Amino acid sequence: MSVALQVSNVRAKYGDLEILTGVDIDVPFGEVHVLMGPNGSGKSTLCHVLMGKSEYEATGSALVGGTEVMGLPVDERARAGLFEAFQYPVEVPGVSLNDLIDEMGEVRNDAGFADRVADMADSLDMDRFLERSVNGDLSGGEKKRSEMFQLAVASPKVAILDEIDSGLDIDAVREVAGLVEQLRSPDLGVLIITHYSRILRYMKPDKIHVMVGGKVVRTGGPEIAAELEASGYVDLQNGDATVPAPEVATPFDV
Amino acid sequence: MKTLDSQAAAAAGAADSPWRADRRATAVEYYEKLDMPSPSEEVWRYVDLDFALDDYQITDASGDAHELGVGIAASLPQTAGSLLIVDGHVVDAESGSSGAVFGSLRGIMGDQPDLLAPYVGARIPADLDKFAAAHAAFGSDGAALVVPRGVVVEEPFFIDVQAATSGTVAFPHIALAAEESSQASVVVRYRSDDDIDALVVPQLELSVAANANLKVTVVQHWGRKTRSIGYANAVVGRDGNVHLGEAGVGALFSRLYLNVDLEGDGSSANIVGAYFGDESQTLDYRYFMHHAGLNTDSDMFLKGAVQDESLSVFTGMIRIDEGAQKTNAYQTNRNLILSDGASAQSVPNLEILANDVRCGHGSTMGPLDDEQRYYLMSRGLDELRSNRLLVHGFFNEALTKFPEPAIAEVVASWIDAKYRAAQEAGRVK
Repeated sequence: MSVALQVSNVRAKYGDLEILTGVDIDVPFGEVHVLMGPNGSGKSTLCHVLMGKSEYEATGSALVGGTEVMGLPVDERARAGLFEAFQYPVEVPGVSLNDLIDEMGEVRNDAGFADRVADMADSLDMDRFLERSVNGDLSGGEKKRSEMFQLAVASPKVAILDEIDSGLDIDAVREVAGLVEQLRSPDLGVLIITHYSRILRYMKPDKIHVMVGGKVVRTGGPEIAAELEASGYVDLQNGDATVPAPEVATPFDV
Repeated sequence: MKTLDSQAAAAAGAADSPWRADRRATAVEYYEKLDMPSPSEEVWRYVDLDFALDDYQITDASGDAHELGVGIAASLPQTAGSLLIVDGHVVDAESGSSGAVFGSLRGIMGDQPDLLAPYVGARIPADLDKFAAAHAAFGSDGAALVVPRGVVVEEPFFIDVQAATSGTVAFPHIALAAEESSQASVVVRYRSDDDIDALVVPQLELSVAANANLKVTVVQHWGRKTRSIGYANAVVGRDGNVHLGEAGVGALFSRLYLNVDLEGDGSSANIVGAYFGDESQTLDYRYFMHHAGLNTDSDMFLKGAVQDESLSVFTGMIRIDEGAQKTNAYQTNRNLILSDGASAQSVPNLEILANDVRCGHGSTMGPLDDEQRYYLMSRGLDELRSNRLLVHGFFNEALTKFPEPAIAEVVASWIDAKYRAAQEAGRVK
């Protein structure tokens, strides 16, 4: 199976602070991978660096369906097939989700776009959100659902879901996990970034990568999650790590 | 062509009812006494008047106008009546059959000499400044609407005000009165071609009686060489509501001085604005909200953007009288600065003399938001397209509050086009 996302030796600095120290991850098409790690290990930075946020100085290679995206503007990365679902999607006042979806359709030469919008709006029950401002006055769960809706209609080659389970109650976590499983397809590779292992109770990832200190220190099967719950990240990098996050949900919508 | 002197005032007043002749005589005296306003006066601060009233003359005949009913009027499915004012002269009027009195000021004064006495020249003092004095002294015709008690008119009235002759000054007057428990909506459009170097000093007087509702949409779309010094006043009676939206997209220099008097208990005002300046335009707003009655509500909500070398000014004042308890008042002014050479002034003020009120203000100023742009770009929209969507969204928040949605949509398309043109010329990103 060919590779949807191939990240090789990605390094990133924020000012003088080196956050990513050489990240390597491969996500094949058709698979769902999870990237775990303690706070401050660089998980969210990796998301932004792959998407091309300008505040980081980054080097290395990231291939999306074989296309090098490092060095491209954010929008070209998106059109190359990369989609990021944000941990805290920003509100865009006055711009309705419908307006945004229309523009997403206009920039994609994609005959199936309008049909996907209709199908997904229906199956995710999005109709009542379409006329509202993007991410405006939505609960945490509704924002995540809006992100998943956009993901589904964008039909990317690679989807990165940043802390998609944060700030959600357990029912919402279960819903999001179910949506990820629904999206699984031979044309898509998914990388889920999470701080907690609880979303793994509701889905079956193919691989788990553990990130500590700005690089991936271990890759393995779903069994790693159980190990981490038992022993934490301590053994993974010369004792230079933290204990796993306690299994406590953050307040509903922070 | 006439210069602004006592002969011109006499000619302007040829059809006056006695009450208007008296007011005119006083105004001529004020006009002769008053100096041009100076930026040292608070209400004229931040702007520079680089012209004199004497630079312009009154024309006896109107120039070639655009036809009534084209352009923005086409977006209104139906109108209750329409009227065209060119260079200060009413040249076309369809009074309609709405049950309201609607027509030219001079025509109505001829038919019913005293009907308009409470509504014309009654609330904007002629000694406010030299321009207000000039309006009262030299203004001749305009439009008037009186909606009788209990009459509800669903379709909007349309008033098209044009400047068509360079070198002229005009003083169109628009008086709109909703009598007790009546309702009406009026759309006023100001326009001129880009090569018309004219001065227009319009006044808009709104009178809303008890339980009445009056909606007014003003679209300022003067050409790039036209200057306008405008005044508006609204007085609202018990449980009445005035809903005024003003869109400012044209002119070389456009000013609107607005005063709202919430006199009746339970009266309310919704004042909304959207303005977008480019090149060397100046858009100047001075808004006063006066709460006099008990239990009154006001919301002022203005959004403006400037690019290139344009300047915008918003100064807002909420005054709550000592006896005006249970007032709810809010003013919001948000500004987008789209070019380094552009500037905006935003000065909210509160003067609260009562002790049981809710009152607040918010004022912001800045460029487009980086995080919002990043989000849109992550969805595949390039930078220019993302910025256009952000500008559209910024104004959408104000335009959705406008009284006539069909007009707001047209204004939105003009604003989008103005920004896009600047992008295509490489003046903004």
